[in-house]
Amino acid sequence: MDLAKYAALFVAESREHLKACNQLLIAWERAPAAAEPVNGLFRAIHSIKGMAATMGYTQVADVAHHAEGLLDAIRAGRVTVRPEYLDLLFRAVDGLGEGVEAAATGRDGAGTDAGALARALEVAASGTAVRPVSGAPAQGDGSAPGTLLDVRVMVRSGAPLRGARATLALRRVEALGQLSHLVPSAALFERDDFDGRFAFRLRTEAAPREVDAALRAAGEVASVTIDIAAADGVLDTAAFKQVRVDVARLDAMTKLAGELVVSRNRLLELLARAPDGELRRTVEALGRQVGQMQSEVLAARMTPVAELFDRFPRVVRDLARDLGKRVRLDVEGGEIEADRAVLEELGDPLVHLVRNAIDHGLEAPARRVAAGKPEEGRLRLVATRERNSVVIRVVDDGRGIDRARVLQQARDAGAVDESVQTLGDDQLLRVLARSGFSTATAVSGVSGRGVGVDVVVTRIRALGGSVELSSRVGQGTEFTLRVPLTLAIVNALLVRVGAERYAVPLAYVAETVDYDGGSKVDAGPRESLLVRGRAVPTVHLARLFDVPAAGGQRRPAVVLQLGERRAAVVVDSLEGQQDIVVEPFVAPAGTPPWFGGATILADGQPALILDAAALA
Amino acid sequence: MGQTVLVCDDAIFMRTMITDILSQAGYDIVGEAESGAQAVQRFRDLKPDLVTMDIVMPDMGGIEAVREIVKLDPDAKVLMCSAMGQQALVVEAIQAGAKDFVVKPFQPSRVLEAVQRVLG
Repeated sequence: MDLAKYAALFVAESREHLKACNQLLIAWERAPAAAEPVNGLFRAIHSIKGMAATMGYTQVADVAHHAEGLLDAIRAGRVTVRPEYLDLLFRAVDGLGEGVEAAATGRDGAGTDAGALARALEVAASGTAVRPVSGAPAQGDGSAPGTLLDVRVMVRSGAPLRGARATLALRRVEALGQLSHLVPSAALFERDDFDGRFAFRLRTEAAPREVDAALRAAGEVASVTIDIAAADGVLDTAAFKQVRVDVARLDAMTKLAGELVVSRNRLLELLARAPDGELRRTVEALGRQVGQMQSEVLAARMTPVAELFDRFPRVVRDLARDLGKRVRLDVEGGEIEADRAVLEELGDPLVHLVRNAIDHGLEAPARRVAAGKPEEGRLRLVATRERNSVVIRVVDDGRGIDRARVLQQARDAGAVDESVQTLGDDQLLRVLARSGFSTATAVSGVSGRGVGVDVVVTRIRALGGSVELSSRVGQGTEFTLRVPLTLAIVNALLVRVGAERYAVPLAYVAETVDYDGGSKVDAGPRESLLVRGRAVPTVHLARLFDVPAAGGQRRPAVVLQLGERRAAVVVDSLEGQQDIVVEPFVAPAGTPPWFGGATILADGQPALILDAAALA
Repeated sequence: MGQTVLVCDDAIFMRTMITDILSQAGYDIVGEAESGAQAVQRFRDLKPDLVTMDIVMPDMGGIEAVREIVKLDPDAKVLMCSAMGQQALVVEAIQAGAKDFVVKPFQPSRVLEAVQRVLG
C-alpha cells in the first residue's frame, strides 16, 4: 500500500481532531464534572492513533495510545480527574500537534519529550481507582431503557471467513440489546472484500465490558471499541455536502479568475472602439460570466472569522497561566466571513496584540482588585463588517498605555519634535509602530524585546488595511484592525497625477469632490476642504510625489475614509473604475510608504496602488 | 471432561480426524452420522452436548440439519465444519442456529478453541 498519498489526509484530519481536542479540554477545564468532553477527546485521540499507526508514525501513535489510555481510565472511573491530568493532556495534545506537523514534512516525531510524555500518561492511567465502576449511565433519551453505545469491531485480519465471524459476533451481541445503524450492512459481510471491520449502535442495559466480552466470545475478534453515543439521532447528512479543497488549488483558481478579469477588461476596452454588434454582445456575455465566476471563486475562499479566533481560548489560557494573570476571553462576530488569505495574515498580528494585552495591558489580579476592578481581566476579540472591510478589535480593560512615558521615550529617540506636548491616539500608534520601539519599556519599565506593534502595523498595511489605537490610562486599550474582505481582486478608482496613473481601493473612497471649485479652510498648518460641512484635511499628491502640478484644470479630490480618519486627496484627474488584481509589492529600500501594491491595468500598463492608510 | 459429541460428515477420513482430535482432548464421542438426516436422527436419540456438522452432505445438507436440530432443541450447540470459500453457506448456517465454525484443513488447536467457545 502506498502510504504517501494518505499523508496529506492524515495531516488534515489530525489537525481537525487536535483542534477539537483543544476546545474540549478547555470546556472540560471549566466544567470538570462533564462526561461528554472525555468521550469526545477519546474518540479524537483514538482516530489519530489509528491513522498514525497506519502511516507508521510510531511516536505519534505511542503518545496517542497512552493519552487514550488515560482518557479511558478516566471515563471508566478507574482514575479520578486531577488538574495535573488535564495539564498532561494539554501537553499530550501539543506533542501530538508537533508530531502531526512533523509528519507534514515527512518526519516521525511527537515533540521533544515524546517518551517522557508517554510514560507520564501511562503512570497517570494506572492510578488507583477511587470509586467503584458503576454501570453505564442512562442516556437522557427517555424512549428506551439502557445506554446507546457506538461499537466498532475488527475481526482479526488473518482469520478465515471473516464475514462469518462477524456474523457470529453480531448474533452474540444482539442478545444484549437493540442493534441499529449497522455498517456495512450484513449482506456485505459475505463478500470477498469484506475487511473484517464493522460498526453498529446498541441500546443495551449491559455494561460496555459485557458487550466487549460477548463480541470477543465469538472468537477471532482483534479489537472492540465502545463509546457512549453522543446523541440518538440520524447521521448528519449535511456533513457530506461539503468538499475539502486544497488551499493551493483555491489560490490557483483565484489567480486565474483575476487574470480572466484583466483579460475581460482589456477586451471590453478594445471593444469600445469597435462597433461590431455581434462581437460586442459576445464579449459582454463573456464579461458577465467571468464576473460571475470571479464571485463564485471569491465566495469559495470566504471563511468565518471564527476559524481565526478558534485558537485563542487556548493561547489566552496558556499565557494567563504563564504570566500569573486571570483572564476572561470573550469572542464576538465569529460568523462574519472574510477571505481565507486575509484571515491567515491576521493570525500573527492578533497573537502579538493578545500577548501584549495579557502581558502589559492587564494588571496582576491583586493590582486590579486594589484599583477597584474585577480580579479577572477582560479581553475581547470582536469582528464586525463595515462595507468592504472586516474590522477586528482587540480590547482589554487593563491599565492603558502611559502616553507620557511613550512621549518621553519618543523625544529621547528623536522620533517626535520637541514642541509636541501630548500624543493623540494616532500619533501614539505611529510612535509605537516605529520599528524597534519597545512598548514593554514604555509600559512596564522593564526592558525587553519589542512587542511587535511595528510588525502588526506593517502586516496589516501590506494587506491594504489599517490599524487604529485607542487607549485610556487605567481603563484599557483597544486596537482596531481594518482589513479588506478579500485581497485578490480589488475594485479601484483610477486617478492621474502627472504622467502616471494610480489605483485607489474603492473600499476606502467615501466620495469624490471638486477641489478647485470647493471651499477651503486653513485650520492650522494643514489646509482642509469643506466637504458637506465638515473640514477634511487635504493631501496634494502632486506635491507629495514631487511632480509638476497640472495647470489649468479643475482638479478633483478623492475623499478617503478609514473609520474616523478622512483625507481629501487632490489629483489631476479621475480615470474611471476598474477591477484590478493586486500583485504583491516588494518596495525597494527608501520607498515612501504611500503604496500598498501594484497592478496591471486593463490597457496593459502598470500602476501603483495607493495605501489609503498612509495618506489619511 | 466427559462432554458428549456427535460427529457428522460424509467422509470417513474427516470423521476419523475430528474424532481423534476431540477424544484426545477428553471429549466423549458418542456417535457418528453420514448425512443430514442421520445427524438429526442420532441427535434425537443421543442428545449430545455438542454436534460437529459438515456443511455439504447428501440426503439433507448440513444447514437443513442444523435447522431441524435447533427445532428439536433450541439450546443445541452445533459447530459447522466448512471448506474455504464457503462463506455464504457458513453465514446461512449461523443464521440457522449454528454457534461457531471451523475451516478445513483443520488445525487441532483451532478446533479445540472453537469447541471450548461453543461449550463454554
